[in-house]
Amino acid sequence: MRGPVFISTLLRESRGARGRLGFFIACLAVGVSAVVAVAGVSSSLDEGIRLEARQLLGADLAIAGHRPPLAGYDFAAAGLGGVRRSLVKETVTVVAAPPDAAGRPGPSQVVELKAVGSDYPFYGKLTLHPARPLGELLDEGTTVVASELLARLHLRIGDVLRIGGLGFRISGVVLSEPDRISISMTMGPRVFVSPAGLARTPLEARGSRFNYRLLLKFPSGTAGAAIQAAAERLKNEMPDAAFYRIETYRDAQPALRENLARVERFLGLVALLSLFVGGIGVAETVRAWLAGKLDAIAMLKCLGMRPREVFFLFLGQTALLGLAGSLAGIAVGGGVQALLPSLFSDLIPAGLSHPWQPGALLRGLGLGLGVALLFSLPPLATVLRVPPARVLRHDAEPLSLHRWASAAAVAALAAGVLLLAAAQSRSWLLGGRFTGGVAVVTAALALAALLVSRAVRRVPRDFARPWLRHGLAALARPGAVTLGAIVALGLGVLVVLAMSLVERRLARELTRELPTGAPTSFLVDIQPDQWPGVRELLGKAGASRIDSAPVVIARLQAIDGASVEDLAGRARQDGGRRWALTREQRLTYMRDLPADNKVIAGTLWGEPRQAEVSVEQGFAEDLGLHLGSRLRFDVEGVPVELTVTSIRTVNWHTFGINFFLVVKPGVLDQAPQQRLAAVRLPRGADQQLQDGLAARYPNVTVLRIREILDKILAVLNRIALGVRFLGVFTVLAGIAILAGALSAGAARRGREVALLKTLGMTRGGVALTFAVEYALIGLVAGAIGACGAAVLAWEVVTRGFELAGEIELLPLVLALLLSTLLTIFAGLAASSNALRRRPVEVLRGEG
Amino acid sequence: MAPPSRIGTIRASGPSGMPRIEIIGLTRRLPSGERVLTILDNVDLAIAPGEFVAVLGPSGSGKSTLLALMAGLDRPTSGEVLIDGQPITALSEDRLALLRRHKIGFVFQSFQLLGNLTARENVLLPAELAGLADPFARADELLAAVGLEDRGHHYPSQLSGGEQQRVALARAFATRPPILLADEPTGNLDGATGRKILELLAEMRRAEGTTLVLVTHDPSVAALADRLVHLRDGRVERQEAPLAAPAGALP
Repeated sequence: MRGPVFISTLLRESRGARGRLGFFIACLAVGVSAVVAVAGVSSSLDEGIRLEARQLLGADLAIAGHRPPLAGYDFAAAGLGGVRRSLVKETVTVVAAPPDAAGRPGPSQVVELKAVGSDYPFYGKLTLHPARPLGELLDEGTTVVASELLARLHLRIGDVLRIGGLGFRISGVVLSEPDRISISMTMGPRVFVSPAGLARTPLEARGSRFNYRLLLKFPSGTAGAAIQAAAERLKNEMPDAAFYRIETYRDAQPALRENLARVERFLGLVALLSLFVGGIGVAETVRAWLAGKLDAIAMLKCLGMRPREVFFLFLGQTALLGLAGSLAGIAVGGGVQALLPSLFSDLIPAGLSHPWQPGALLRGLGLGLGVALLFSLPPLATVLRVPPARVLRHDAEPLSLHRWASAAAVAALAAGVLLLAAAQSRSWLLGGRFTGGVAVVTAALALAALLVSRAVRRVPRDFARPWLRHGLAALARPGAVTLGAIVALGLGVLVVLAMSLVERRLARELTRELPTGAPTSFLVDIQPDQWPGVRELLGKAGASRIDSAPVVIARLQAIDGASVEDLAGRARQDGGRRWALTREQRLTYMRDLPADNKVIAGTLWGEPRQAEVSVEQGFAEDLGLHLGSRLRFDVEGVPVELTVTSIRTVNWHTFGINFFLVVKPGVLDQAPQQRLAAVRLPRGADQQLQDGLAARYPNVTVLRIREILDKILAVLNRIALGVRFLGVFTVLAGIAILAGALSAGAARRGREVALLKTLGMTRGGVALTFAVEYALIGLVAGAIGACGAAVLAWEVVTRGFELAGEIELLPLVLALLLSTLLTIFAGLAASSNALRRRPVEVLRGEG
Repeated sequence: MAPPSRIGTIRASGPSGMPRIEIIGLTRRLPSGERVLTILDNVDLAIAPGEFVAVLGPSGSGKSTLLALMAGLDRPTSGEVLIDGQPITALSEDRLALLRRHKIGFVFQSFQLLGNLTARENVLLPAELAGLADPFARADELLAAVGLEDRGHHYPSQLSGGEQQRVALARAFATRPPILLADEPTGNLDGATGRKILELLAEMRRAEGTTLVLVTHDPSVAALADRLVHLRDGRVERQEAPLAAPAGALP
């Protein structure tokens, strides 16, 4: 068949069925729009981050670590003579309003303190009020703070703020900061001081934990490649390079973007799931459509069209429809993507969003077309076997496919799904797991639907009223289409509900009252000589339980003689191991382990002659440690050699003070150290304690567990919102399938309506009969999905998060109710035409 | 006026003197493109209680439309249908449904059983709708009457055409309707099966005393009727008593 003839036949063939094929488009469009929305938002953010990379870094190149980098480094000798440098120091500390006239301490607040030079930032704009350069507002005795802090401490510009126990006059308010991205969690409002101002305070000297960032600005016009090369050189040459993170603007926030990509991979798969659910609908619609086309197909064959040509004729129509559905989905998804940033405006800085993402649209188009063609293959294969004799004998059904042919169709479908999932997640492993998981869950849902149908068939229906009996009968003999719809809807319910159950379980864990006896606050950076005074304040505040331990900050230098530099270099691909090697190690020493520790290998303090250390099991695994391993630490310049003589487990759920590394008493007693305390305070006493501490021991920071949990909760809620948002697309796809399935049976439905009316059923009676039927379908789909969700959520909660399994009943009931109502609504809407059929039609259309 | 019939006058009357079905000046027109088709043209007809009337005519003569209008399935362009003296053309859809529920049974050419329901449930449905005291007993009794007492749990797709039509007969009689309307009930069946169905129909009608209006183009079916009404181009062409034929000796 020549091309033009093919096209014109194709267009003629698709003429009559447009109404029904609307469902094809709807099923596809829902999934495509979900995919486009996810891909669009994430690539828009990614593009924003790359375009604003210099501003976000505030420099061409930045070196970050826990100690000031490159102190005493000869920049000129390293060929970096023309490079401007600015050192940024950041820490979390408590600031306070001055005491009132009666000498009572003023209100205090945990803040993120940042000391910057007058040339900060090299790129991007710091928006301040009054609108003057930072260098003019900041001097030794002034500070610029976030307006949020002013509100909390009831201060105004010009008032005095106590930082590290010293007074700073507030000279301005910071409105936006180019290199602070609020996508990550923050510990408190921002406070800026000058380097000289910080030097006045005891914070740095008294061992508060600082993050240091050295910002470098190359002479303008320096090629990006040259900056990249300088970064490589620094990574190789600078002292202790393994302990620093070296980034250029061309890396464009690798950690942030990696996190973003991880979230996108996850959400992208959730979106893909709704597209696959839509695929079930596509298959069902094509099947129903072809069923009405058998005569036409037989006729085409009689007219001399070869089976292959007929197949491609219908495949071509499917592709056209797939294109239409994908384009519709792209339009909707693009709209959603454009709207989303305004929903998350507090998370996504306005400048970072770039709505026009052709890549995301193309991906939607590709995935949509792929799913359309893939899922219509199995039903389309039947057109090959329609006997031309059907033009003479109307009841000549399509010959069944060879067994290998149906197997091939299913295999092609599975392979295609795997391919699309791998493409969407950019990982064969993830795509494979996803495909396997979806296949197992779908099979389980289909099996459950079949079993329910079997069971309903066994139940005697005599007791039921006619309208209920009708619904039960429909359930007992569901067509393939209804079964597909039940599975699809069940899958949608499962996804949304499982996510919501897990999220609610986590949220409950986070909002739950802290266990009785568990600490409510941590006090960090207490100097040993301050401890008696702090204890006294704790006693006054009514602390019921005080645990404390000495903390010695050290840097791991070697394991069994192999330097950490080498080990970290080798572990470059393994983030967890690299982190474990190069982090600031916190050592403690104690005679007896806390009750929640259990030694699982070796003996605690069994070797009197050795400097012993006991290591937590997971940490030991990360570092590859075993009994007898020798660790060399650098404690403020002094080398300390320790031998691993025991390995222990820790129950981290108790919020007690626990350490990866516990050293035998006597080894570190004289080392520079601070004290960490975990205390349980009566409700409401923590603010008063913090105010008091801020006045007397300004270097001590109080971290409230409740506040930290609330912050984690807020992040969790955000992610959960996104997942639920996407899950709704899956449910919508399920509903579209259901409506499509019902409308595919509209001819049969219409006859049924006419017949029931002829037999004397009123219009209300018919509507009620159908509503009950749909309600039962929705109820079964909802129940199967809810059971699946409960099982899945239970597994995730108990195995994934290692929490006690608890499943809330309310969301299950709500899910059942909603899926039932939605199904009734969709069903009645889809059969509204049929319901209007007049009884006279039983006398016309035969069959 | 039409010629007198063998069993009495054309304007047949029941014991109370009122016809069961009375049709006065019934006209039905349908728009068809630019033209208006006249399906039925000013038809008058009266059918006495217990009478068996066969409506004959070539296809397109308006037989099925006449049947539909008698049952309130369709609305006339003009004219009136009275069932037991009650005019029905002005009734609402729901009132018509209630009327059919209690007074009219149907048999169709294509059986029209509900595929999701078993044979027994199909028979049960009208009995329950009509609120019979013991619909189950009635359904079982009727299934036995049509010789399908063992097959009540089967679905229509598991039954032969003849069996399906027998279920349809049972369903039609479920509510003991005073009127039974049949539209080519043997049209989809082979000769022998069709004859059996017809005998069954005639027998059940006699037993229940039901008024039967049967549309057919098969003269052998018509031979069982009390009166033949010939339609042509939407008009009653003639009415007659069938040729005397010994009962049970259908050709």
